[in-house]
Amino acid sequence: MSDLQLGLVHTPLTPFTGDIAIDFEQYGRIINFHLKNGAEALALPMHVAESVSLSDAERRKLLEFALEQVEGRVPVIAHITQSGTSIACALAQHAEQAGAAAIICTTPYYWKPQPGMMLQHFTEIGATVKIPYFLYNAPSEMGGTRVTIELVLDLIKRLDNFAGLVDISLDWQFLIDVVSNARRAKPNFQLLSGLEFLISAGAIGAKGAFAPHATIAPRLVKRLYDLCSAERYKDARPTQHEFASLYQAVKKRGVSGMKAAARSLGRDCGDPRPPILPLMESAQRALAEELLRIPSVAEEGRGW
Amino acid sequence: MSITLKGVMQAPVTPLNEDFSLDIPCFERMVDFHIRHGAPAIAWPHHKAESLNMTVEERKLGAEAAVKTSAGRVPVSIFVSALAIKDTIELARHAEKIGADAILVITPYYWSPSPEEIYEYVVRLGTMVDLPILTYNSPGYLEGIEFTGELVGRLIQRLPNFIGMKDASFNSEKFLEISRVALELRPSFAMITGVEFLLPSVPLGGAGSFSAAGAISPNLCNELYDACVAADWDRARAAQYKITRLWMLFREQYPSSLKGGMVMMGRPVGPTRSPLPTATKERQDYIRSQLDELGILTNEPHGW
Repeated sequence: MSDLQLGLVHTPLTPFTGDIAIDFEQYGRIINFHLKNGAEALALPMHVAESVSLSDAERRKLLEFALEQVEGRVPVIAHITQSGTSIACALAQHAEQAGAAAIICTTPYYWKPQPGMMLQHFTEIGATVKIPYFLYNAPSEMGGTRVTIELVLDLIKRLDNFAGLVDISLDWQFLIDVVSNARRAKPNFQLLSGLEFLISAGAIGAKGAFAPHATIAPRLVKRLYDLCSAERYKDARPTQHEFASLYQAVKKRGVSGMKAAARSLGRDCGDPRPPILPLMESAQRALAEELLRIPSVAEEGRGW
Repeated sequence: MSITLKGVMQAPVTPLNEDFSLDIPCFERMVDFHIRHGAPAIAWPHHKAESLNMTVEERKLGAEAAVKTSAGRVPVSIFVSALAIKDTIELARHAEKIGADAILVITPYYWSPSPEEIYEYVVRLGTMVDLPILTYNSPGYLEGIEFTGELVGRLIQRLPNFIGMKDASFNSEKFLEISRVALELRPSFAMITGVEFLLPSVPLGGAGSFSAAGAISPNLCNELYDACVAADWDRARAAQYKITRLWMLFREQYPSSLKGGMVMMGRPVGPTRSPLPTATKERQDYIRSQLDELGILTNEPHGW
C-alpha cells in the first residue's frame, strides 16, 4: 500500500449552472484556484461540496474530471459515503480505478447504525480497494453518529489500507485517544483535523488538515496551518481567532453561506442545489459585511 | 479581591466515614496533602466531591475546613451551586463570610434555562458577594445548556468580579467561542478546563485546569502543566496521553473509581454516597494494575 502522507487538503465546492447542472467549466477554474493557493491535496466532493445532492453518475464524472484537471500534481481523495454498503463499495472501486489516491468515508446516512453494523459497513468498504482508506468522524453532520475509538482499533486490525482519520468532532478526549491508542496499534496511523481548528489538534498530535474554508480565505488557512505545523501555537492564536470568526459567520448559514461567502470574494460557484435554498440578497450582504470585518479575510485576494 | 488562578488546581473529593458521614479530619489531611504537593489553588466541593449528595450544612462545614486548612497558603474557591437558588445564595454568602477567595457557579440544574435566565442568575450571585466569581460550563452533562461567547461577553461587561470560567466542553470550537471573547474584553480572564486537558487548552490561552487525577498523581499534573507552559510539546504529549489514560480509568463511575484508586495510593477516603456506587475490591485491584502499568505507583507519593 502507498505511503501517502496528507498535509493541507482543500475541499473544492461544486459549482452549478442556472439550471442546476454541474458547471464543469467553472469547476476547472475552482480546481486551479486551489492548486495555486496552497492545496497539497484535494478531497472531493465533501459534504460542503454537496456530495449528498449529486447523483451517483455525477459523483463519478466529477471525480474523473478533477483527476484529469489535476494531472497528478497533487493527490485527489474521493469522498464515497453512501447509506448502503454495496453502493459505497461501488463508488470506492470506481475511485480506485479512476486514479484517486485515497478514499474517505463517514458513517452511513440515516440508519443510526449500531457498533456491529458500523464495523461491518466500514470493513466491507475498506476491503474493496487497495488504496489508502480514511474515515471521517463528523457527528455534527451525521445526526450525532460518531466514530468511536473501539471502531478505529478494530478497523486497524482488519484492514491494512486503513490509513487514518479526519475529525470534525473537535473532541479533545477522542483526539487524544486516537493519537495515543491508534498509533500504538499502527505507528503511521494519520490523524487530520477536518476543520481549521488547528492549535489544539496540532498540540495533541494531529498532522495535516482538511480546509473547507480555503475557498474563502486560503491565505489565512495557509498561515494558520504553517504556524501550527511548526508548533508555534502562541503565534498562531490571533489567526486561529480570526478563523473562528470566519467559521461562525459561515456555519450559521450552512452550505448557502459558504457559497455566498465565496461569491462575495469574486469566486462565484453558483447557488446551492435544491433542497438547499440560496441566501436572500439581504442575508448575502450581511454575510459579506461580517466577513470584511475580519482583517485577514478582508486582505484576501478576489476572484480566481 | 484580585487572585490569579493558574496551573492544575486541586479539587479534593469528600472523605466519608463508613457510615457515610463527613470525615473532616481526613478532608483536612487531604487539603494539606494537595498544597504540599504543589497545588496552586484548592477548589471544593465540585461534582467529584459529591456536592449534590450533601446537605447545605455539610457543604458549609467542608468549606470552613478547606479555608482553615489552606490558611492563606493558596486561594480557595467554593462551588456554591445547589438545586435551589435559595441554597446557592446561602452557600455563596457563607463562602464570603468564612474568607474563601472565590465562588464557582454552574448553569442552573434541571430547568434548561435560556441564555437570559443564565445571565440573570449569574448577575444575581455575582452582585450579591464581593468575591471574585467563576462560572462553570458543562454542556455535556447539562444537555447542551452552556455559556456562549456572547453571554460571557455580556457578563464580563456587567460584572467586574467575573474572573474566569471552568470549561468542561473539552472541544476546540466551544472553548474558543468563549476564550476569544473573554480574553479580548478581560485579558486576565482565566480559562480553566475541567479535567487536565492542558495540551489542547494552554496553547489556546488557557490558564490551567481543575484536576481529576490530582489525588492519585500530583506529580504528573504538575509535570504536564510545566511542559505546556514551557512549550515543550513532546514532553507535554507524553504526560497528556498518560493522564488521559488515568481519566479514562476514573471517568467510569466517577468519583467512585477515583476513591478506589486512592486506597491503592495509601490515601483511603472511604465510600461514595448513593446513588453513586462504591468501588468494589475487584475494581480497586483492576485500578491498581493500571496504576502499576502507568508507573504511577512508583512515581507518585504514597500515603499522606
